[in-house]
Amino acid sequence: MAELTVTREIDPSARIAPDAVIGPYCVVGPDVIIGPGNVLERRVSVTGHTHIGSANRFEEGCVLGAVPQDLKYRGGPTALVVGHRNRFGRKVTAHIGTEVGGALTYVGNDNVLLDGCHIAHDCYVDDHAHLGHKVLLAGHVRVQSGAVIEDLAGCHHFTTVGRYARVGPRTPVRRDVPPYTDFYSRDYNWLPPAVQGVHEAGIRAAGLSQAEERELRRTLRELFDDESALQTKIEQLVNMGVEGEVAALCEFCQRSLKGVFGRHRETFRGRTPPEAGERMPSELRWALPGQ
Amino acid sequence: MADISPHAVVEQGAELADDVRVGAFTYVGPEVRVGGGCVIENNVTLAGRTVLGRNNHVFPMCVIGAADDGPGAVIVGDANSIREHVTVCGGPAEPTRIGRDNLIMIDCHVGAGALVGDHCIFANCTHVGPGAAIEDYIRTSGFTRIEQGVTVGAYTFIAGFAGVDRDAPPYAIVQGFPYRVRGVNAQNLKRCGFGDEDIKALKQAFHAVFNGQDDQPSEKAIRKLSRARDINPRVAKLLEAIRGGKAGEGS
Repeated sequence: MAELTVTREIDPSARIAPDAVIGPYCVVGPDVIIGPGNVLERRVSVTGHTHIGSANRFEEGCVLGAVPQDLKYRGGPTALVVGHRNRFGRKVTAHIGTEVGGALTYVGNDNVLLDGCHIAHDCYVDDHAHLGHKVLLAGHVRVQSGAVIEDLAGCHHFTTVGRYARVGPRTPVRRDVPPYTDFYSRDYNWLPPAVQGVHEAGIRAAGLSQAEERELRRTLRELFDDESALQTKIEQLVNMGVEGEVAALCEFCQRSLKGVFGRHRETFRGRTPPEAGERMPSELRWALPGQ
Repeated sequence: MADISPHAVVEQGAELADDVRVGAFTYVGPEVRVGGGCVIENNVTLAGRTVLGRNNHVFPMCVIGAADDGPGAVIVGDANSIREHVTVCGGPAEPTRIGRDNLIMIDCHVGAGALVGDHCIFANCTHVGPGAAIEDYIRTSGFTRIEQGVTVGAYTFIAGFAGVDRDAPPYAIVQGFPYRVRGVNAQNLKRCGFGDEDIKALKQAFHAVFNGQDDQPSEKAIRKLSRARDINPRVAKLLEAIRGGKAGEGS
């Protein structure tokens, strides 16, 4: 690397790929693994048991792997795992997990997280998600693949944003957002946000077959044009037999309805969610509770 | 000897207790005093006349004590957790004060001359305006904005995206902009050890005084409640806060 005398503080026991670029004023802690092709721009701080895959880009002022802002956290060795080809904008913060919440915070592949986003403890961001400026994910949130969350939106603890859904700007997400829907409020001051239609760009991005797309649109209209009796409508649909994306949509909604306040992940409160076991990298499995 | 990173800049005149930890690329100005057990992480700026008590944890990228106009003072108590990217402005005339045992989450802002009590939890992006007074045990949700010079009563919860544009009563849940009182913060009160009787009395008082729709408390209900003979002390405090222009009035 043709770098000048750059001041940065890298712990000797951190494992950093030779072609990773660590900019000036960066701080890298002892238990950090940084894979090949990563770029840490200026003043990026990476601590905790943070494992970063390859070809990610972290812009100015990112803080990764700090301890959770959760009073339940007892200081245990929990992990933050970042996949490949993500872009972290300026001042993005991502925390490690908590012991009772599965000990893992996870950001998958090909995500874009714009400036000031916050990925709190025990969150799961899958793949190809887009988080606008200052999107706040509270603890235990799951953002599924392809979801778009616009600027200044905030997700409540334990919510899920479904696949290819869109959350409008400045939206307080207090319950699960079903896949492929457009979720916002018509009057942010007094009306709670709700499903307002189909997320067209999401359906395009998902690349569904024509038949599947037609079926999905029909189901979304049927379920969310008038959200009353959602449970009964879904049961009827499932009884008639559904498949593919429609089946996934029905399952998502049923889970949310079974949860607390329309939040499926509330059922994981105080225990390890299934994602933690699936996604914890093998070298960190010791961090899983009960291992 | 304090554990100071070789990459940190500690100006001559700064007073650091013996067991303070200072991370890399942190700047500690000449008039700063840091108490025992404090952890100042990397890339922090402590400027102006900033005094930190004991056992505070300041996370990366915080800026404490920088002022908009001229040098200012910040006085922070003990055992606060000040998270990443938080900015606390120094008060040029009156110092900005933060009590003890507060958790100030990422990207919050505390304006010049603001007073923050004890045991508060500010969620991410809470903005406390200059000169605002935040009493004890306040909880805020994300993106809350507390305007300049406003007083927020103890034990109140401020919902996400709310704008507190005038004084807010104690024990309440407030929501929206301009805010409305939506009820009693019973959950927080229970956690803070309030008895069922107190909570019940407060609920009745809130029900009478705030109807959840109007911006203003009901004068009639306040008069009626304060005439009651054996008034619950918590309710008395609530009424005093409202009547004293401390809550609910347009500013």
